[in-house]
Amino acid sequence: MSVLRAAWLVALKDLQLEIRTKEILTSTGLFAVLVVTLGSLAFYTDPVSSPNVAPGVLWISILFCGILLIGRSWALERENDAVFALLLAPIPRSAIYVGKTMSALALLFVIELLLVPLCLVFFQIEPSGVVLPLLVLVFLGSVGFVSTATLFSAVGIRTRARDLMLSVLVFPLVAPALLASAVATRELFAGATVAEILGWVRILTAFDLLFVAFGVWVSRYLLSEA
Amino acid sequence: MKLDFEEVGVTGLAKSYGPTLALAGVDLTFSAGSVTVIQGANGSGKSTLLWLLALLAHPTKGEIRFGKYGPGYADGIRGRIGFIAHQLQLYPGLSGRENLVLAAKLQGISHPSERTEALGHALGAGEYWDRPLRTYSRGQAQRISIARALLHEPRLLLMDEPATGLDVKSTDAFVELIAQEKRRGAIVVVVTHEAQFAGSVADRMLHMDRGRIVEPVA
Repeated sequence: MSVLRAAWLVALKDLQLEIRTKEILTSTGLFAVLVVTLGSLAFYTDPVSSPNVAPGVLWISILFCGILLIGRSWALERENDAVFALLLAPIPRSAIYVGKTMSALALLFVIELLLVPLCLVFFQIEPSGVVLPLLVLVFLGSVGFVSTATLFSAVGIRTRARDLMLSVLVFPLVAPALLASAVATRELFAGATVAEILGWVRILTAFDLLFVAFGVWVSRYLLSEA
Repeated sequence: MKLDFEEVGVTGLAKSYGPTLALAGVDLTFSAGSVTVIQGANGSGKSTLLWLLALLAHPTKGEIRFGKYGPGYADGIRGRIGFIAHQLQLYPGLSGRENLVLAAKLQGISHPSERTEALGHALGAGEYWDRPLRTYSRGQAQRISIARALLHEPRLLLMDEPATGLDVKSTDAFVELIAQEKRRGAIVVVVTHEAQFAGSVADRMLHMDRGRIVEPVA
């Protein structure tokens, strides 16, 4: 079976579980909305300063929400040792990583579709010309972050220190992607054109390609032993 | 591509977890159409041996051969292995049917729904078939676990305490199922503490102690 076909089955299973329980979207979605709301109440001062503050609040919200979401997604695999249903199957090990990344990304993007308008409204940012490039930035930033966090969560199925490992290893590793995302978002909110943030988009795309390729390669070995 | 084999052999198989030696050099051969029961005290290495045979762990020393294939052909060999573990290894949020359909698709079975349906009915899972697995009793969930292991007609069937939670009637049916698998040509390896169940399925009984096969049980 091809990696993509197997990955699609893994991702579909995660989405099926989420449609059934709505557990991840409810808990992480509420958390993300709370962070943006609190951030806007605490940091919003005037329309001039808000474009500088909003990107930080948006990306902190995405980061925490993503970590919660990915942790919960792998917790479902540990319940009943269910992950062995995947490890026993004659599929490439990297398909498990790709599938879990795809489902986490899809769920995070659903939450981001809620967060982005909320952020624009709370921080009074003019949406015209911003929404589409912002969604692209949010998507690219999320790909790098989710692909890295999923890889370390996959390692975490074998270790008790999984939460510690996530925060100690993932945050520094995804820092370049998050910084690039936050700075590009700030420039966009400050009125920069798409052409002016294209450099950041390129950096994000390169980071994404690098980390997805690294994840696919290394997951073959990381998931070869339970 | 699924690979086939008639025999599984292990040579000098050892496995350590840090300083703990779980398996201390085991030499065994398992042949098609035979049922081997392995018994022994807790921590004697029985489950570790099954996990190595299921390709879920790498040996520290020694070798496993699946006919002419080594673990380098793991993806192809996995398609010929069925494993009933002590933990259910099923998704509690999915129903029994959904768990089996997922397993069938991952195994690359051409008509997953039909195969799943037939096996579910054969195991009498119809009544609770569409409820989430977390609402099942242990025995009901165990039947789904057994069905999952048999879905793809595996050549190597590994079972760790497979009769856990089964009532007398279901255990009898399960004994008959193992006999059918044996007639089909499966290599069946069972780890169990239940003497009566072991006696009713075994062609060969082995005893393990501190990571070694210590004596054949008559």
